[in-house]
Amino acid sequence: MNLSRRNLLLGAVQGAGLLLLSGCEKAFNSLQQNRKFLSLLESAEGANQRLQRLLTGKNKLAQEFTEQDISRYFKPNGNPPPITMDYAADAAKQWSAWRLEISGSVKQPARFSLPELRSMPSRTQITRHDCVEGWSAIAKWKGVPLTEIMQRVQPTPEAKYVVFHCMDTDDSGAHYYESIDFLDANHPQTILAYEMNDRALPVEHGAPLRLRIETQLGYKHAKYIRKIEFVASYEAIAAGKGGYWEDQGYEWYAGI
Amino acid sequence: MEKLVYRHNRITRTTHWVNALALVILVMSGFQIFNAHPHLYWGSTSEPDQAFLSIAAANDDGEVRGFFRIYGWQLDTTGVLGVQNTEMGPAPRAFPSWLTIPGYFWLAGGRRWHFFFAWIFALNGLLYVIYNIANGHLRKFLLTPKDAGRVPAMVLYYFRIRKESPQAGEYNPLQKMAYTSVFLFLTPLILLSGMAMSPQLDTAFHWLPAMFGGRQSARSLHFILTFLFVGFTFGHVFLVLMTGVLNNMRSIVTGWYKEKVSEKPEPAWLQGFKEEMIQKPARVPVSHQIPAPELEEIPPAEETLPARVEPTQPDNGISKSATEDAQISPESSQQTLPTHNNEAKKDIVE
Repeated sequence: MNLSRRNLLLGAVQGAGLLLLSGCEKAFNSLQQNRKFLSLLESAEGANQRLQRLLTGKNKLAQEFTEQDISRYFKPNGNPPPITMDYAADAAKQWSAWRLEISGSVKQPARFSLPELRSMPSRTQITRHDCVEGWSAIAKWKGVPLTEIMQRVQPTPEAKYVVFHCMDTDDSGAHYYESIDFLDANHPQTILAYEMNDRALPVEHGAPLRLRIETQLGYKHAKYIRKIEFVASYEAIAAGKGGYWEDQGYEWYAGI
Repeated sequence: MEKLVYRHNRITRTTHWVNALALVILVMSGFQIFNAHPHLYWGSTSEPDQAFLSIAAANDDGEVRGFFRIYGWQLDTTGVLGVQNTEMGPAPRAFPSWLTIPGYFWLAGGRRWHFFFAWIFALNGLLYVIYNIANGHLRKFLLTPKDAGRVPAMVLYYFRIRKESPQAGEYNPLQKMAYTSVFLFLTPLILLSGMAMSPQLDTAFHWLPAMFGGRQSARSLHFILTFLFVGFTFGHVFLVLMTGVLNNMRSIVTGWYKEKVSEKPEPAWLQGFKEEMIQKPARVPVSHQIPAPELEEIPPAEETLPARVEPTQPDNGISKSATEDAQISPESSQQTLPTHNNEAKKDIVE
C-alpha cells in the first residue's frame, strides 16, 4: 500500500519532470522571442556596466604579461579577411593606398597614412584577449593610442561615441563596425595597433590597423579599420545597436 | 498525534523558490555559453592542445561522433553530449538543446539570460543572508568544530552502520556541513570566478583571475563549481523526496509543517541531550548548597530550578526567549530541536 503509493507518486513526479522539461524548452524559446521579456533580460547589461565601471574606476590598466606568456596560437575569429581586389592589391603594396579617415563631429577631419600613424607616439603592450566564446590568448601589440588621434582631430563637445568602420563583410555583405564611448576611448591601453608580436599586423588579425580595447571582450576589437567617425549617437548606423554583433543581440557593453 | 508547526517564514520561502528558478536558468544558460567553446584549460590562456576537458565532436570515418574527454580519457557520448541529431542531420553540440537556454544555439541569448539571473541569484542570496543573520537563524546551521567532529558519525548513521544519530540541534552535522560549504565556499567562489572572466573588472583587480590561477582557470572552476551546485541540489531534492515529500512541499510553500508528537520512546540521542540540558543548571547553583549544616533545610536542588516541568508533556505556550540562554526547561530544549517554535504563532493539534 505504502510502496505502491510511493511508486505512483514517484511516477507522477517523473512524468511531470519530463513534461516540464519539454514545456520549459518551448517556454524559454518563446520567451526569447518576446520583446518585453527580452528587454527585461537586457536590463542586466546596464547594471553590469554601471557596477563594473563603478568598481573599477577610470583608467585602471589591464594586466600586462611577459614575452614568455605570448600564446603560440591566437585564433583569428570573426569574418574572413576582406577578399576584395583593392584590399589584396593594397596589401601587396604595404598599404600605400590605404588611408585612415577621421570624420564626424571633429574640428579637424583628417586622413592618415600608415607611415604617418607609425611616426606618432606609440604604445606597446602584452595583453590578454578574451573572446566572448570563452577562450583567451595573449599577444604583444604595438600601435598609436587613440588619444593621440583625438588630440589631432579635436572631437567637438557633441561627440559621445567613437565608431570604427571596417573593410570586412559577412556573407550578406554587411560591413563590420564597432563603437565605444569616451571613457574607453581615453583609456591608456586603447590603441590602434599596426604590429602584433613584433611584426606588421597579419591579414587574419586585421591588417593594416585594428583596435585594441583591453577593458572589453574580443568582438569590440574592430579589425581592418578604414574610417573612424565621431558621433553623438550610433542609432543611425546599420541596425542602430552600435556594432555588427550588437545588431545581432550581443551587448554593447562587453566588459564581461 | 500530529500537529502543524510554522517552520519557514515568508522570506525563507520566497528566496528559496527564487533561488531554485535562478539556479536552473543559470545552469542551463551556462551550458549554452559553454557550447560556444566546449573546452576547458588551466592558466591564463587557452592553447588548443592544452585543453584538459572537451565535450566535442569528431569525424569517425564519415560518421560524426560526440565525445567527452578529460585528461586524455575519452568516452563516446554520441546522442547525449557532443553531437545532437537535428533535422539537417547530426550536428556538433556539447550540451543538447533540451539542457540549454535558449534551446537553439545562440550565445548572445544565453548570455542575456545568464547575466540577468546572475543578478537575481546574487541579490536574492544577499536578502536571504541578511535576513537570516538578523533573525539569528543562520548560526543554527553554521558548522562548528564540534559539529565537524560528528560528521563521520552522521555518515555512519545514514548508512545504518551506527544506530544512534549524533544530531544535537535543529540540523544534523552533515546538513550543517552541506549548508555551510554552500554559503561560505561554493557561492562566493562561483560569483568570484564568474566575475574573474570580466576583462573590465580584471583591469582594477588583477588578483581576481590570479586567485584562481588565471582567467581560463577561473572559467574552468566556474564550470566545475556548477556541478557541485547541481550535486547539492540533487541531494537536497532526494532528501525532500525521501523524508515526506508532501509535508516538505507544504512547509516550503505555505510554511506549515506537520510534525509527529512522539508517542513512542524518544531516540536515545534526544533523551541524552535533554538530560544534559537538565543536569547542567543543576550543577551551577553549588554555592546555594553551602554551608553544609543548612543543607537539610534547602529543598532538593531540582526544585530550585525555575520552570521545571516533567519532560513528557509538551507545552507549546512557553515563550522561548526568556529561557533560551539558560536552557533550563526541558521543554524549551525539546522544542528547539525539530522546529522553530518561537515562530509558531498558532499550533494546531490534530
